[in-house]
Amino acid sequence: MRGLLHEMGNIFPRWTNLLAIKVLVCVGALGTCVIAVAWYSWTPKYTRVGYMPQQPIPFDHSLHAGQLGMDCRYCHTHVENSAHSNLPAAQVCWNCHGPGKVKSDSPKLEPLRQAMDENYENYTGKPIEWVQLHKVPDYAHFDHSAHVNRGVSCVECHGRIDEMPVVYHAKSLSMSFCLECHRNPEQALRPLDQITNLGWKPEDLEPDAFYAYLAGKTGTGADDLKKADEGKVWGQELIGIHLQKAWGVHAPQDCAACHH
Amino acid sequence: MRWFFLILAIAVVATVYALGPRGAKFSSPPFMLFPDMDNQYKVKAQKPSDFFENGQGARVPVEGTEPLGFKFPVSGEGVGRTDLDFSRGSDYLNTGLFGDFYGKGFPGELTMDAAFLERGRERYRITCAPCHGDSGNGAGVVSKYWAIPPTANLIDARVRDMPEGQIFWTISHGKGLMGPYNGVTSVRDRWAITAYLRGLQAVAGN
Repeated sequence: MRGLLHEMGNIFPRWTNLLAIKVLVCVGALGTCVIAVAWYSWTPKYTRVGYMPQQPIPFDHSLHAGQLGMDCRYCHTHVENSAHSNLPAAQVCWNCHGPGKVKSDSPKLEPLRQAMDENYENYTGKPIEWVQLHKVPDYAHFDHSAHVNRGVSCVECHGRIDEMPVVYHAKSLSMSFCLECHRNPEQALRPLDQITNLGWKPEDLEPDAFYAYLAGKTGTGADDLKKADEGKVWGQELIGIHLQKAWGVHAPQDCAACHH
Repeated sequence: MRWFFLILAIAVVATVYALGPRGAKFSSPPFMLFPDMDNQYKVKAQKPSDFFENGQGARVPVEGTEPLGFKFPVSGEGVGRTDLDFSRGSDYLNTGLFGDFYGKGFPGELTMDAAFLERGRERYRITCAPCHGDSGNGAGVVSKYWAIPPTANLIDARVRDMPEGQIFWTISHGKGLMGPYNGVTSVRDRWAITAYLRGLQAVAGN
């Protein structure tokens, strides 16, 4: 009996004493690495930011919107009236790049000529197939007009398009990205005439004109408003809080606001 | 154990290297693990659709019909969100014409006030100024960089003497090298631009 027990005691060699702990440590380390990698890369901050597809025409926003200073709405004409910010019809490109006008024979404009120039040998009359790169999921409803008519600039979601030779996805457009702003809308509000001025700085806003505008909106005297703000820092937060109050902006945070 | 951690370290480095940092530029469509609900099978703005015979998602009204109650919501800010949107009609408001002649003056449907002029100023800056210039003198930013045939000087006597209807008609249909703008500016905005242009001409004087 004693002999048998002794023999059984030797079935597991010494190195097995720590085996369970070692397996636990290894599985733990592996799990931690998998989670860390997923945490870092399984998010729109990784999967979408930086998306820079090649477009049929290498349209240069930094030239048109930046250097030439053209307003976003010259091309995206219906952004103030529609949930969908439209891409321009080929006719809009043709206004400047038609025959005898700017760079009309550039090889880069080949797809435009195919769409518009009836005398061109490869004329198809079919629209230019631009590649969509900013997209919220189809179960989330985003309304452009609701935002640009209430002081949220293009730059808040799209970044400095006027500095991009090739447009890329600059912000994550994830749900937390939306909520960040909907929780603190004053961080993004600006006067309506500066919506498409992507380089706008709140410090540049003229306080007197701003208080006069507020006075007209709220019915409080401009001087009273100004006096109440004495000692406060003139910047985005102050401007945003005023505009939010004046316009009655209540950025909704309930599910049905976007998922309906 | 030592081997395990060595292999794990190599695997992690390889994965991180293959994935790259956040924000790195790439051109292939973004990766989606469960794309089903993100990309629903439905008609979307400015997208083709294989549901319809001609492949177009956007439908045109059946011939001989007019869409009912097609109006943009009216907003409290400025004059925007017009109800005189992209209407089509044969009256003066929609054409700038009385029969075969350009009409003079502004249509009665419009209210001439400061907000209307302000709307005109805004739309002029967006749509017209790149070529015709902020002051209307025909020296917009385009002429600064490219030698294209001269753009009309809107403040000289020729345009000043034009009837309003002709200016409206020209914005709508274009003239010479200028393309039509009736697809991108609403009827009301085209009249607002016309009104603002009258203001520019008055300021330029003589």
